[in-house]
Amino acid sequence: MVETPRSSGARSANPPNAVNNYFNHHTKVAKATLRAQLKTPFSTFFTCAVIGIALVLPTLLSVLLSNIQSVNQGWDGSAQITLILKQGVPSLDGGVLADTIAKKQSIKSSKFIDNETALNSFKTHFEFADAIEYLDENPLPHVILVRPDKSLNKIEHIEQLKESLVKYPEVDSAMLDVAWVQRLQSITDLLERAVWLIAGMLSLAVVLVLGNTIRLAIENKKEEIIVIKLVGGTNAFVQRPFLYMGIFLGFGASLFAWFLIHWVLYMLNTPIEALAQSYQSTFSLSGLGFESTLFLLILGMGLGWFSSWLAVRKHLGDIEPT
Amino acid sequence: MINFENVIKRYSDGHEALNDVSFSIPRGEMAFLTGHSGAGKSTLLKLIMLMERSTSGQITVGEQDLSRIPKRQIPYFRRHIGVVFQNHRLLLDRTVFDNVALPLEIAGLNPRDIGRRVRAALDKVGLLSKEKLTPIQLSGGEQQRVGIARAVVNKPPLLLADEPTGNLDPELSEEIMKLFAEFNQVGVTVLIASHDLALIHHMHYRVIELSKGNLLESNGFASAGKSTADQPERSHING
Repeated sequence: MVETPRSSGARSANPPNAVNNYFNHHTKVAKATLRAQLKTPFSTFFTCAVIGIALVLPTLLSVLLSNIQSVNQGWDGSAQITLILKQGVPSLDGGVLADTIAKKQSIKSSKFIDNETALNSFKTHFEFADAIEYLDENPLPHVILVRPDKSLNKIEHIEQLKESLVKYPEVDSAMLDVAWVQRLQSITDLLERAVWLIAGMLSLAVVLVLGNTIRLAIENKKEEIIVIKLVGGTNAFVQRPFLYMGIFLGFGASLFAWFLIHWVLYMLNTPIEALAQSYQSTFSLSGLGFESTLFLLILGMGLGWFSSWLAVRKHLGDIEPT
Repeated sequence: MINFENVIKRYSDGHEALNDVSFSIPRGEMAFLTGHSGAGKSTLLKLIMLMERSTSGQITVGEQDLSRIPKRQIPYFRRHIGVVFQNHRLLLDRTVFDNVALPLEIAGLNPRDIGRRVRAALDKVGLLSKEKLTPIQLSGGEQQRVGIARAVVNKPPLLLADEPTGNLDPELSEEIMKLFAEFNQVGVTVLIASHDLALIHHMHYRVIELSKGNLLESNGFASAGKSTADQPERSHING
């Protein structure tokens, strides 16, 4: 409207300067917002704690999930194929076949067990040893226990291997012991889905809690917002400190959650190690790696920004000078 | 600078705040807007600030038709108008310096220019030594002068004031008015809403008087509320 030489500073300045001023302004707003948050350390801490706790559960579940998945992968021979040899195949031939199979690709080990050994094992391990004494001949077949290589981690591939092994003339049939693999896989699938659902719900809770915090902050700054609007502040200018506030609270919450998660893992690790030891394993829980930590921080800050953006959008328009 | 043509402002509850008001204030003029409370002074200022929109009629400010300014352009429009409020509307949790710097920060100036301009404005209102204090530590008159410094720091071509001396004693009031007159002398168009009639008549500037939403008088020249389109012309000449 007005053709005065000064006009508005930012637009008359040359572009690099304007960009510079813009970043200067952002830095200043960010610093001032942070300072204001630290001025009320208790309320800031409690807000961060509430949001942090909401972030803990889904993150913790996903940590446990990735631990379970690593158990799954680290299992010594994820599946076992039992080849039952035809009746009348000499045990010598069985041993040779086992050696042949062992040399094949993607086989970790192949062990021949003749029917005498199997019967003896029955006698020692089971209560019906006496009953076996009455048998005229050994009813058990020779078997070869085949363990596929770790590289075969998909059930379909193991199935294919099984099919190829059945084709040996000495082999009568083959059994694939995959039930537990499938079971573990469906448990982790279920957990994964649960993690996403819980994460979704708790993210919503975070947005609501943070949104409400920001709404109260907006209420408290009502007079300031009106004055800023009266002297020509745009909505972007008015909302900037609130967006930074959301980001900082989200960051604080992520930090809080990170420490809480490591504390929980520390508390769980001793009993889990004891449990693992009873299975002759040295398994122990691993914490949040670099990537997960980064993800947690970005998630917290992102949620913080998003909630304050929502709150600002909803409430800032209502505050107009009258 | 300011031109009202047959402006009507009716609020949604049916109350008619301004009834067919026409007047014109040329660039560089200083004028007082008077009338009893509820006469429509505040509404008139709000229309100029685009805090309200007129029901009908045309308002132009600095050659700009206000009805053509979309909502998102309002902030940029307001940056060319300095406003002084009765209750000064300073931010009490910021220093005097930061209060005055606010419009410049909004305009996106760099910190060096901001410092220079803020100190120039504070110097003009005689408060250079108090830049580090908060408004609460100042007297009423000083607070109002900070408000004025904030209004002029951006060097706006138009300065509006809504009862700027409402809370001040006569001596301070005169001081404040003199400050406005000084800005007018360097070319700023000034419009001051005030009911301090004694002070106004003492100052010999044009007076625009409102009564129940009608324009009663413009500089002593009677002009009926139900004015015609030529009325702005007359007031233009008179002003």
